[in-house]
Amino acid sequence: MKRFTCLLIVLFGGVISMYSQSISVQGTVLDENNVPLLGVNVLVKNQSRGTTTDFDGNFIIESINVGDVLQFSYIGFLPKEITVSSNQTLKIVLQTDSESLDEVVVIGYGTQQKKEITGAVSVVDSKTIEELNPVRVEQALQGRVAGVNITSTSGSPGSASNISIRGISTNGDSRPLILVDGAVIEDLSVINPNDIESISVLKDATAGIYGVRAANGVILITTKGGKKNTDLRVELDTYTGIQETSRKLPVLNATEYAVIINEAFAAGGENPPFNDFSVLGEGTDYQDEIFREAFISDVNVSVYGGGEKSTYSAGAGYLDQDGIVGGSKSNFERITGRGSFNYDILDNLKLSTTAIYTHSNRSTLPENTLGSVLFNAINMAPTIPVFDANGEFSLAEGLGNEVINPVAQVANTYNNSQVDKITGTAGLAYDFFDHFKAEARYQFNYSEVKGISFFPEVFYGSGKVFNISEDRNVVNESTNFFRDYTFDAFVSYTNSFNDVHNVTALLGTSVFKSTGDFYGFTGFNIPGNSFDNASIENASDVVDNYINVSNRIFDSRLLSYFARLQYNYDQKYLISAVIRRDGSSNFGPKNKFGYFPSASAGWVLSEEKFFENNIVNFFKIRTSFGILGNDRIGAFGYTSLLNGEGTYVFDNELFFGVAAGRLSNPELQWEEQTAFDIGIDARLFGSKLDLTVDYFQRRTDELLLVPQVSGILGVGAPGAGAPIVNAGSVENKGWEFSFTYKQLVTDDFDFNVSFNLTTLENEVLSVANENGFVPGGFFAVGQGEAPSRMEAGQPIGYFYGLKSDGIFQNASDIASAATQSNANVGDLRYVDQNGDGLIDSDDRVNIGDPIPDLTMGLNIGFNYKNFDFIAYAFASVGNDMVRAYDRNEIRTNKTSFVLNRWTGPGTTDIYPRVNIGPNSNNQFSDFYVEDASYVRLQNVQVGYSLNNATTDQLGIRKLRFYVSVNNAFTLTEYNGYDPSASTGDPIGAGIDQGFYPVPRVYSAGLNFKF
Amino acid sequence: MKINTLKKRIIFTLVAFIAISCSDDFVDVTSENESADNYFNSEEEYQQALIGAYDLLQATYLNVMIGEIASDNTLAGGESANDVIGFQQIDKMSHTPVNQQLRDVWNWMFAGVNRANYILQFQDKTDFEGRSEVIAQARFLRAYYYFELVKFFGDVPLFIDKPLEFGEQFDIVRTPRAEVYDQIEADLIFAAENLPATQAQTGRITSGAANALLGKAYLYQEQFTEAAASFEKVISGPYTLAQDYESIFEPEGENGPGSVFEIQYTDKEGAGFGCLQCSEGNVAVGFNGIRNFTGPIFGSGFSFNLPVQDVVDAFSENDIRKDVAILDIDAFANATGATFIEGFEHTGYYNRKYLARQGDLNTGDANLTNPNNYRSIRFADVLLMAAEANFKKSPPDEGKAREYLNRVRVRAQLDPVDFVGSILLDQIYIDRRLELVGEGHRFFDLVRTGRAASEIDGFVAGKHELFPIPAIEIELAGNNWEQNPNY
Repeated sequence: MKRFTCLLIVLFGGVISMYSQSISVQGTVLDENNVPLLGVNVLVKNQSRGTTTDFDGNFIIESINVGDVLQFSYIGFLPKEITVSSNQTLKIVLQTDSESLDEVVVIGYGTQQKKEITGAVSVVDSKTIEELNPVRVEQALQGRVAGVNITSTSGSPGSASNISIRGISTNGDSRPLILVDGAVIEDLSVINPNDIESISVLKDATAGIYGVRAANGVILITTKGGKKNTDLRVELDTYTGIQETSRKLPVLNATEYAVIINEAFAAGGENPPFNDFSVLGEGTDYQDEIFREAFISDVNVSVYGGGEKSTYSAGAGYLDQDGIVGGSKSNFERITGRGSFNYDILDNLKLSTTAIYTHSNRSTLPENTLGSVLFNAINMAPTIPVFDANGEFSLAEGLGNEVINPVAQVANTYNNSQVDKITGTAGLAYDFFDHFKAEARYQFNYSEVKGISFFPEVFYGSGKVFNISEDRNVVNESTNFFRDYTFDAFVSYTNSFNDVHNVTALLGTSVFKSTGDFYGFTGFNIPGNSFDNASIENASDVVDNYINVSNRIFDSRLLSYFARLQYNYDQKYLISAVIRRDGSSNFGPKNKFGYFPSASAGWVLSEEKFFENNIVNFFKIRTSFGILGNDRIGAFGYTSLLNGEGTYVFDNELFFGVAAGRLSNPELQWEEQTAFDIGIDARLFGSKLDLTVDYFQRRTDELLLVPQVSGILGVGAPGAGAPIVNAGSVENKGWEFSFTYKQLVTDDFDFNVSFNLTTLENEVLSVANENGFVPGGFFAVGQGEAPSRMEAGQPIGYFYGLKSDGIFQNASDIASAATQSNANVGDLRYVDQNGDGLIDSDDRVNIGDPIPDLTMGLNIGFNYKNFDFIAYAFASVGNDMVRAYDRNEIRTNKTSFVLNRWTGPGTTDIYPRVNIGPNSNNQFSDFYVEDASYVRLQNVQVGYSLNNATTDQLGIRKLRFYVSVNNAFTLTEYNGYDPSASTGDPIGAGIDQGFYPVPRVYSAGLNFKF
Repeated sequence: MKINTLKKRIIFTLVAFIAISCSDDFVDVTSENESADNYFNSEEEYQQALIGAYDLLQATYLNVMIGEIASDNTLAGGESANDVIGFQQIDKMSHTPVNQQLRDVWNWMFAGVNRANYILQFQDKTDFEGRSEVIAQARFLRAYYYFELVKFFGDVPLFIDKPLEFGEQFDIVRTPRAEVYDQIEADLIFAAENLPATQAQTGRITSGAANALLGKAYLYQEQFTEAAASFEKVISGPYTLAQDYESIFEPEGENGPGSVFEIQYTDKEGAGFGCLQCSEGNVAVGFNGIRNFTGPIFGSGFSFNLPVQDVVDAFSENDIRKDVAILDIDAFANATGATFIEGFEHTGYYNRKYLARQGDLNTGDANLTNPNNYRSIRFADVLLMAAEANFKKSPPDEGKAREYLNRVRVRAQLDPVDFVGSILLDQIYIDRRLELVGEGHRFFDLVRTGRAASEIDGFVAGKHELFPIPAIEIELAGNNWEQNPNY
């Protein structure tokens, strides 16, 4: 209201201006990128007169005195003052203010002015995304938003990232709810970051407007739209680059390998296999054979504009990325098309529509598992050349059944998937009775996901599990359909009383339905043993993969009602309350519906008289509290179904019977989170410094566990299992701190710095199953017990193993230590935690956890004349990782630290001897756990924009060239490929079986606007 | 006009709300799957559930492996001393209540019990012709699974005619072994009475299988008279000893004339290591396989369950059973040019009866999907058990004992014996070992006949007759059970 009044004064002022005297001043107002700004308010200070800039950013003010001060203000930009010195032509550069208090922020079923927000909401705008050129949306959040931690499951093209908001609040599915223009999106790889206008991250109880889906946080993405009264604008953004691996592991060369193997055999009392080292040389480093430079390119074109009553926007994008492992065998190609059209049918009836189409193709290689390509590259013996004397791929003989020649593996892998997806939204908004607004919105997704994989006849070596025998090449084809819709309808009431009581009330309902059906077939014996012929039509012995699998279809639904009341007194005292009732088809009759209340309040101290000062321009303290839910638990856990596997063989044919599935739990309910937040938002030093600090505490109860239950219940049967029960709780608490500082030093030079920091403390409070923990993860072949656990008093997914205490240097060390089976000098000595004189599984303790204690992000940018520079880094401190990429088989290759092995008393107290005989060095212990803290310089970019005169001559708005390096370097002590990688499993994260590293990318690009 | 607009507005608002305000039953979704509580409405449904109960027979591959590895016949083998630590410990008689393989046996056999009980819970729900045959098969299966359980663990919780419900595991006690045997006997007697001597479908349970298992159950309880009587019914049945001994364990020998009960496997559907019990193939065969083998006839595998020199030497020179039971891998490699590598505890011998053969489809994980049927009860086994029962019953019938023993020996192209007394019994034991080596009987035979302590290194009398109940399973059932003695 105030702003509107202000604007009126300015406009009138412009008309009335009529002082005689003196000079006139003219000039141009530009943004940092030299793009002219239309409609900037230019005000003569203390004179209530001024003007606005025209389409080219130009303005003229007549009759002005030297020494008068001109004030420039524009929404989304920091205000600026200029003192008039002479009859001159001014060039005014305004600096963007992404933190603008007047900016509206999407908060779910509506928007709110930033200064009135009472929750912890972070926003990433299109400018940030444009700067970063992320391939995936998640990368725009990484290190940018306090409280949001992004880890990559892999650096392979098209692979997913894990998003966790304020810690890991469940042992189940911890993905946040992501809505794109109101439509639920589960896989962000279908979204082209270039299409995004803004991302709002709801981190606290204000996410409660999304009720049973809010506990993992909510991300609201708005795609780009047009602007009214704007001619057609066209933007072209493109870059192309070269990717390379960011790390290669040091492994033994052939000679070193032979020495180590011989020593191990000798220690095991067997004859050393290598007699002559001199012929071995360096041998083959299979990583060199696997890693390669790979190409990436991205082109985006978008147009927008609008008339009196309508706006339009459209965009198209094409991304093609090869993998640094396997090249085109791990490729991602994405074509996106987007359109939006808004039309004011009546002054008070507005239609809005959007549509997004995505087509993507992805090829993948086996990753981060036993026998994956990188795992094999590390473990393949360096004495074996890639090709044998006949030019055939060498066989990986004697290296264990899962280790094969990785070059042959890449050549014989064919695994492609294709996604076609349409997302559409349509909404009507109707204003009535002055203060009321009714909105109805329909959002849908439809996607088809097709997969094909082909395993040609191949022999990798005797006994290899990946061998495909003669005439038994295998083709798998799958087609999956997903459909969902969300229908929202709500009415809001907004009014002000006595100019100080501002009320907004919202009442609405939402219906969500998601269905899918899956088809998959396996066939054999493709003619010619060729991928070209690979299809189910050409196969024999075709098997329907779903004939005895019950999950061919799913149907998941949600029915919700919600209400929100927001009140503020003179924008000084702010309160908001939300209640949502959700019914989910995932729950049984006993617990079908849940109520999720939340409330928040804020106090803008800077509006108080007593607070007035020159340093702090804005200061708000706010707090929120609420109860949120998580319903991501799969369907029908509450009822007993015959969805087990009951298959037997009669007459040499398969017979598919029925059998009970998982035991039921009729009491099953949602996970319930109690979220508390207190924080401040402040702006200081002429709004140049923007500061936000939050403390949060989020406790999730009723966690869904699949506890171990007694085997006499029959849970060991194929397809059966223990019931899902609500039996655990976990707490995340921590601090978030972020600031942004911007300063325009001269018209030619401005800079900005932003920094954010999040601390996190995760503790499992209870695991109420019989044995008090939930195991997870996989460490090594033949080790029965899982390495990770969820257990009360410990961080979720902590590593549970033996603690080592150096190396047995001599026989008396062994004699004086607790009894350890097969102990010999040179072996790891374990700590007898329970003091029973015996090293066994009861001596296992917490030996680390994969959750960072601290994450940070730092962004620095400056513009100097036509140049711009951006550097962006993030860090993670206190996350541990398990080195599980060594096969530890007798003849597999080893990473180079084995050269530091124990070879005699006093040689080392860290690295055990090599030995092929029985020993306990391969047991899961802290020897395999490493600190994976890291700092990564994620992006460095230098750009050059043509200056205004040139662009004017060319008739364009902007032309910028840039070069950038992504993932420039990483500082870490971690030995593996990528300390930022994680499987994303709450229990079992941080176990590295050869993560595909995120590549380093050197790229060059241009931004072109006209 | 104004009123009209107002109306429109109200209508719009109302429509917006009413149209989408679904009733709460919008979120009631029913599964495509049948509900477990509303089944058994037709013969078809009984038959379907019965297949589910048969399914767990395939999981007994593990029991068979343990029966050999625990005995003096084989070593655990594998890749290394740490490879499947449960096997390694059982081999050395150093197993403890923490043993994943023993827990698997426990869980999988009780899974079978529950699936059989599920059918028996609803045995009277729907009548149809042939229902008693369905019930008889279900009761046989329950008996089979319980017999495995008492063999391994002694006293085990007995519950019949309904699956155990969640919560009941905390109250149930370990039923004395004798009572479990009573139930096994009752089930098998019912099965024998209600099943035909031959089935149209191979793999189906017959009355002969029921009588054979019944006799075996008596034998384990040292009720020799009853055992002999039950075996007699089998011996008078439609079984003969296959004359071509070499064919018995080959694909063409499956479900042959000497097959009393055979667990059916196929290479058409596999599984992964995450669910070994899900495989439709014989997992033991891949585990027994020759490490990194390349060559004719056989497929490769994980080199577990390796016969020791002692059992190889136990065969007499002209015993044709030796080359069927034992593969001398060095000799074979020399003769054929085959290659392999030596795994842990390499003995030079493999369990040839249950080795992977070439040409199998091995769909899924090749090593876990071998089609070799497990010859659970062979006619030769029945004859040898009958010989033993006749010898031991009171009064003994040594003539019959000798006759049955000699039938087995002659088929093996060995001379019949005319031994009497304890020498006869010893010969029965010897031939039982040699006839059945590699088939998972040895450990239990040694225990049953009191010879385990003298034959198995590390065997402690009074302890190792039973395997320990997995400690975790005692915990999960409320810590109410005593562990087996001396564990």
